[in-house]
Amino acid sequence: MRRQQKTCPFCESRVRFIDYKDDRALGRFLTDTGKILPSRLSGVCARHQRQLSTAIKRARYLALIPYIRGHQA
Amino acid sequence: MPRTYEAVYIFDSTLEDPAIQEKLTRFHGLLSATGDIAVDNWGRRQLAYPIGARENGYYVVARFDVEPAVLPEFERALKLDDGVVRYLIALHEHEVGAPALSDEEIAAVRARGDDDDEED
Repeated sequence: MRRQQKTCPFCESRVRFIDYKDDRALGRFLTDTGKILPSRLSGVCARHQRQLSTAIKRARYLALIPYIRGHQA
Repeated sequence: MPRTYEAVYIFDSTLEDPAIQEKLTRFHGLLSATGDIAVDNWGRRQLAYPIGARENGYYVVARFDVEPAVLPEFERALKLDDGVVRYLIALHEHEVGAPALSDEEIAAVRARGDDDDEED
């Protein structure tokens, strides 16, 4: 099966710097459990994936997005 | 040379608004910032996970141009303050006059994406 061609959504919308404060935008790049979605699945280019991972980690620290989702303590 | 930083503070949401503003004024007084300090009050919002017993926090975002040398003292004040649940100081990344990606560059990025597909 031929995989659908993917382009980086950040390059597409000409994003230069990914904002760690925008939790809604970052949520798109998390799995259901809150892990960072691999670029293999999201199509994000290497440069933006690096920025994205930093942004997600900052947002987690600031309690804007959870470290893990769906976990009952 | 001053650099532009962005700080996000999470205050204890049980603090009164004037108390928070008073703390902000005190912190920002330590900075001796060149130019204005842009303060964005997000207000109270729910934390994505509980921090200690807290479920909510009062978020404030500030942006300022300061000498890097003043930051250690500023951070020390933040650490010592019990009203600050968390804070993050990061370089504010913004355009520094570099041109935006041209159409050619975007085409190149796409072409590279195609190569990746071929290898699979």
